[in-house]
Amino acid sequence: MKSPPFEYHRAGSAAEAAGLLGELGFDARILAGGQSLIPLMNLRLAAPGHLVDITGAPDLAGCGANGGGLHIGAGARQRTVELHADTLATAPVLADAISNAGQVPVRHQGTVVGSIAHADPSAEMPAAFKAQGGTVTAQGAGGTREIASEDFFEGYFTTALEEGELVTAVTVDAWPAGTGHGFLEFSVTAESWPIALAAVLIHTSGGAIDRASVVLGGVAEVPLRRPEAEAVLVGAEPGAEAFEAAAEAAATGIEPLSDSFGSGAYRKKLARVLTRRALTTAAERAGGDA
Amino acid sequence: MSTHDITVTINGAMTSANVESRRSLADFLRHDVGLVGTHIGCEQGACGACTVLIGGRSVRSCIMFAVQADGADIQTVESLAPGAEMHPLQEAFRRHQGLQCGFCTPGMLLRSLELINDNPDLTAEEAREGISSNMCRCTGYQYIVDAVLDAAAEMRAEEG
Amino acid sequence: MTVPEVRQHPEHLEWVGKSIPRVEDPKFLRGRGNYIDDYEVPNMLEVAVARSTMAHAKILSIDTSAAEAVPGVVAIVTSENVTDHVNPMPDFGPSPDKHTWYCLAVDKVRYMGEGVAVVAATSRAIAEDAAELIEVEYEPLEPLTDLLEALEDDAPLIHEALESNIPFQRNFTFGDVDGDFAAADVIVRDTLWWGRSGGQPLETVGAVADYDAATGMMTIHVNSMSFTHFLFLLANTLRVPSNKLDLQPHPSGGSFGAKFFEVKTATIAAMMARITGRPVKFMQDRLDNIANGDHHGSDRYYEVELAAKADGTLLSTRYKVVDNYGAYIQFGVGQHGNSLAQAVGPYRMSSIGYDLTAVLTNKCQQGAYRGFGSEVGNWILERMVDLMARELDMDPVDIRRMNFIQPDQFPYFIPTGNVYDSGDYEAVLNKTMELSDYKGWRERQAEMRAEGRHIGIGVCTCQERSVFSATEFWFWFDEPVAAPVTSAPESVTLKVDAMGAVTATLYSNASWGNSPETMVAQFVAEELGVEPEDVSVVYGGSNQGMPATGPGGSRFTIMVGGAVEGASQSIRAKAAKIAAHLLEANEDDLVWENGGFAVRGSPDQRKELAEIALAAHMFKHSLPEEIETGLEASHVQDHPYTTMPNPERTNLGVFYPFVGHASHVVVVEVDPETGRVEFLDYAAVHDCGTVVNPRSVGGQVIGGTVQGLGSTLYEEFLYDEDGVLRTPSFAEYLIPSAMDSPTLRVGHNETPSPYTPYGIKGGGEAGRMMAPSAICAAIDDALGIRIRRLPATPERIVEMVDAKD
Repeated sequence: MKSPPFEYHRAGSAAEAAGLLGELGFDARILAGGQSLIPLMNLRLAAPGHLVDITGAPDLAGCGANGGGLHIGAGARQRTVELHADTLATAPVLADAISNAGQVPVRHQGTVVGSIAHADPSAEMPAAFKAQGGTVTAQGAGGTREIASEDFFEGYFTTALEEGELVTAVTVDAWPAGTGHGFLEFSVTAESWPIALAAVLIHTSGGAIDRASVVLGGVAEVPLRRPEAEAVLVGAEPGAEAFEAAAEAAATGIEPLSDSFGSGAYRKKLARVLTRRALTTAAERAGGDA
Repeated sequence: MSTHDITVTINGAMTSANVESRRSLADFLRHDVGLVGTHIGCEQGACGACTVLIGGRSVRSCIMFAVQADGADIQTVESLAPGAEMHPLQEAFRRHQGLQCGFCTPGMLLRSLELINDNPDLTAEEAREGISSNMCRCTGYQYIVDAVLDAAAEMRAEEG
Repeated sequence: MTVPEVRQHPEHLEWVGKSIPRVEDPKFLRGRGNYIDDYEVPNMLEVAVARSTMAHAKILSIDTSAAEAVPGVVAIVTSENVTDHVNPMPDFGPSPDKHTWYCLAVDKVRYMGEGVAVVAATSRAIAEDAAELIEVEYEPLEPLTDLLEALEDDAPLIHEALESNIPFQRNFTFGDVDGDFAAADVIVRDTLWWGRSGGQPLETVGAVADYDAATGMMTIHVNSMSFTHFLFLLANTLRVPSNKLDLQPHPSGGSFGAKFFEVKTATIAAMMARITGRPVKFMQDRLDNIANGDHHGSDRYYEVELAAKADGTLLSTRYKVVDNYGAYIQFGVGQHGNSLAQAVGPYRMSSIGYDLTAVLTNKCQQGAYRGFGSEVGNWILERMVDLMARELDMDPVDIRRMNFIQPDQFPYFIPTGNVYDSGDYEAVLNKTMELSDYKGWRERQAEMRAEGRHIGIGVCTCQERSVFSATEFWFWFDEPVAAPVTSAPESVTLKVDAMGAVTATLYSNASWGNSPETMVAQFVAEELGVEPEDVSVVYGGSNQGMPATGPGGSRFTIMVGGAVEGASQSIRAKAAKIAAHLLEANEDDLVWENGGFAVRGSPDQRKELAEIALAAHMFKHSLPEEIETGLEASHVQDHPYTTMPNPERTNLGVFYPFVGHASHVVVVEVDPETGRVEFLDYAAVHDCGTVVNPRSVGGQVIGGTVQGLGSTLYEEFLYDEDGVLRTPSFAEYLIPSAMDSPTLRVGHNETPSPYTPYGIKGGGEAGRMMAPSAICAAIDDALGIRIRRLPATPERIVEMVDAKD
C-alpha cells in the first residue's frame, strides 16, 4: 500500500520545527527517520496531513557525553548511537536495546529519540531509557521544558508531550561505576517484534545491591517499572536467590494483554524468565566492583 | 498535491526530479528513474527487497520518502555491473547459487557489499547475522552466506 | 495407458549431473529480472481493491460517489455490478454452482479481506485514496472459523446454496483395513492439527492487461498461472473467445505454489482494461497477498490410528481428517490426492482408511503450497510412527528401518493404487546416519543432558512424490464426472538456426525460482552436443504457444526433459538425413556423437550440427527434395505414467508415480522456559533419482527445509474467533531469517527412475515435506513432550512443558 497524501515541510532548526507544529496544528507530525511512522502510513493506519522533517536541523543532530550523562539529539540515528563510544561507556543498556531493535538498515535511518517519542510499549529503546533514567527535552511555541523519563510515557503510543511540542533531545543519566546492566528480549524469530523484554541495572557496593532498576516491555501500556522487584533487590546479595525473588516480584501483579504473538499468560512467564536472566547478566557485569 | 524538487546522486549521476511528497524512494527509483532492480516486497520495512545504499549505508527505500533523500548519494544494484563484467559479489552469488527467484537478490547484494566493506574478513557467523536483515524465501540463506564469504575473499585478494 | 517401458539410461552423461552456474542468474543479479512490476506501458492505469472489513456479512449497499470524485479515478467496479462484466472464476471444486466465486464478493463477504470493489486510476496511490472512500454498508452475519464448529448443524452457512458447510465428504477404503486392525497387536491413536501457513513469496502476484477492441484480443502479462492448457477456463471467466486470450509470462519472484493458479489478479486487471479501454496493472500489495491471495495452505484436523504387530511391523493406518478450506474450494480436495499418493510413506503397509471431510469457513481459501498437502500427510504418518516407537519402546530409527519397502520390491504399488517407481530407502537412511553422526550425537546428547541442557534428536524418513496426473482432479467423485481429464502436457520447441545456435521455447510460465532455463539448457546440451551457456531459452506467449502445464507437483524438470528429448530426436532424425546426403553416406551408417554425425568407423568423415543446420536453412537445392528448409522441432510430452481409477474408487490408479525419498536428522536445543528452539545440527539426504544440477537441488532442499521450519515453528495465517485476520503483514506473519535457519549438511543418493528421461525424479518440494516431522521429533525428544499441533510456537512448547510438570 502507498502512503496517503501529506504536505512535507523541512525545518532548519528546533525552533522552526516548533513553529511549524504550532502553525499546522494537530494534523502535523514530526518526521525524523520515519521508521516507525512510515510503515504505519504505508498501511494507512496513520494519515497525518503534514510532516515536519527535522533531520536537517543542525541543532538537533549529535550524540555524546554531556555532563556525566549521554545527550542524544532528535536527529541522531540509532546505528550511530548504538556504536558510539560514549553510549557504550555511559549507557550500555541503551546500546544493547538498540542492537536488538529492528534490522541494521532500519537503524541506519531510524532515530533513538523518534523511537522513544513513538512510545510503543513493546519497543526496546523506551524501556532502556526508562530503566537507566533521564530527561526528555521538549520544545514548543512557549519554549523548552524537561520531562523526567519516569513521567514521559503515559499510555499506548501516548506521551507527556503537549500538542505543538517536539522532543529535541533526550539525556540519559549516568550510573556510577560498579553498575551492571542486562537487556533481554524474547521474539519468535530473530527479526520479529519482541513479545516481552526486560531492561535492568543494578549497582553493587560492599557485596550488596544498593541501587536497582527493573523495567519491562511488552507487558503493559507503557514501559513498566517494577518497584516491587527493585525493593527485593536493594539490600540483597546478588545471586540466584535474590534474582529469582525479584523476577517473581516483577511478574506478579502485571496483566499483559494477548495478541497474535503470545498470550498474556505467556508474556507474564517470559517477563519473569527475562528479568531473572537479565539480572544475572547485570550482576556479572557489575561484579568487578562488587 | 504537495510536490518538491529534489536533487540526488544515483549511481554516480546527478538527477533532479519533482516528486510528490508521499512518493517512496523505492517507487521513485523504480517508476520515475526506471531503475527497476530495487524491488518492493512488503512496503513496511520488514523484508529488505528494497534495500539500497545511501552514503554507503543500507536503508529500506520502501519506508523512506524520496523527498527525504534530497541531496543523498544513492547506490542501487544497477551500479554493481555497469558493463559486461559482473562485480565479484555477483559472480560469487552465481557460483554458489546464492539466489533462486532473484527477487531478494538486489537488496541482498547491496547489504552484503556493505558488510564486506565494513569487515573484509568477516566470518560465516558475521555474514549470517549481517544478512539476517534481509528476507529470502527461496534459498534458506546458506548459499548466500557461502557467496558472501567467497566474495569477501575475492575482494580481499583484489585489494591486496 | 499401460506401464511405460523400462528405460536404459546412458552410462555417461556430459551435462546432466553437473552443477553448472544457472542460466537464469545474470539477469537477476543485475536487477534486470523483468518481473511483472518492472513492466510498464504508456497510458497505463493501476488498480487497488477495496477489501472487506468484516469476516461474514451481507452487503447491503455500496456508495462509490466520494471515490468517483477523486481526480485521477477512471473506473470503479463493485460487488453490485461485477457480474455484469465477468463470469465466475474457474473452479475445480466439488459443486461449483453451490460455492461460486467471482473476482469480487457478490451479495455477501465471506472472509476479512475479500474484495468488494476495485478502482482503476492513474496511479496506485490515487486508486488507494479512492478505495478508502468507498462506503460499504454491511449486515453482519455470525462468523465461523473453527473447522469442527463448521460441522455442527446450527453453524452459520458460508454458502446458503450448499445447505451445509461440507462441500465434500467421502470415506475411502484401500485394502483390508478392518482385517489389518483386527490382526494388530498394538494400535496407537492420536489427534493432530496442522496449522495454515502459505508460500508468501517476496514478490506478490501482479498482472498487466491490455484489451484491443479492434481485434478483440486480450493480452495479459502475468507472473502467475504456470499452465497454458487450462487457459480456456480463464477466457470463459473473462468472456473472451479462447483464441483471443494471450498470456505473456514474466519471471516470478517466488511462488512455492502460491502463484500456481492465481487467476484473480489477472481477471481483475483484464476486467478493468476492457472497461477503461486502457492498459491496466494490478499489483497486489502484501496485505492483498496475505488476506486475499486465494493460496493459503492446508488447515487440517486429524484423528489417526496406526496398527502394528508387537515386533513393530506396521500394518495399516486409519485417517479421519477434516480440512478447513476457507470460504471457497477452488481446487476441490486435490491436496489430499497428494497425501494419498504416498499414504504409507516408505513403509510396507497393506491398507489405508481415509475418511475425508472438507469444510468451508470464513477464512481466505486454500491454494497450493509446496507439498500441496503431501507435506501434511508425511508429518501425520511420521508423528504416528514416532508414537508407535514410543509405545513399543523401540528406537525411532529401528522401527523405520524394519518397515522399509525393499529395493527389490519396486515398482511397488501402495494400497491407494499409486506406484512407487524405485527407491533404496535403507541406503538413504544409512547415508543420513553417517552424515549426521547420529551415534555421536546420541552420545553427546547424554553428556549435554547431564549438564542440564535440553537436547533432542529427531529423525524422519519421508516420500516425495512427483509429477501429478490429471486424474487426481476428479477421482474423488463417482463417474460420470464433468471433466475426467487425463492430459497434463509440457511442450518445447527447439530451433537450430543457420549458424547452428539453438533456441528453446517454453510454453508455460516456468520461472518461479526453480531453474527451468538451466534445466532446459543442460538437456539441450546433453541431447545436441552444444554448450549449455550457448542455448537461448525464451518463453512463448500462450496464444502462439503449445499445450503446457508448467511447474507444480515437482513435475517440470521431468516433463520438460521429456519434451526436449522428443524434440531433439526429431531434430537429429532430420539432421541425419541431411548429413547422410552431405557425406554421401547411408543414413544407417551414421552415428551421432559429440554434436555431429560421423560415418561409423570413419570418425573423420563427419558433419557438425552447425554445418548441417546451415545446409538445412540455406541450401535447399543441394538437398533431397523432401527435406523442408529449416531445422526446428516441437514436442509435446504428456504424463509418462497414468492409469485410471477403478469405478468403486478402492483403487485410484497410478497418479503420482515418480517417488523420491529423503531422511533428515535434526539436533535441537530447546529452552524450556521460553520455548525457543535452536538448531545444533541438521543433516538431510535426498534421493530424487538422477540429479541434473546438484547445487540447484541442494538449494531446493535447503530452502524447502527452512520453509518447513517456518510452518513447524511459527508461520500461520491466524484468524481469531471473530474471523479477524491477526497476521496481515510480515510483522505478524513471521518468516525465518538467516539467524533462524540452520546450516544444513546435504547429501544425495541417486536411484534413477526407470520411467523418466535420465532417471530424474522431482525434487522441488523436498525439504518442506520432511522438516516438520524431523523437527517435531527432535523437540519431543529434547523435552519429553509430544507435539500434536502446528505451528509448535514457543508459547505452545512452554505450555506442553508446563502441562508435563
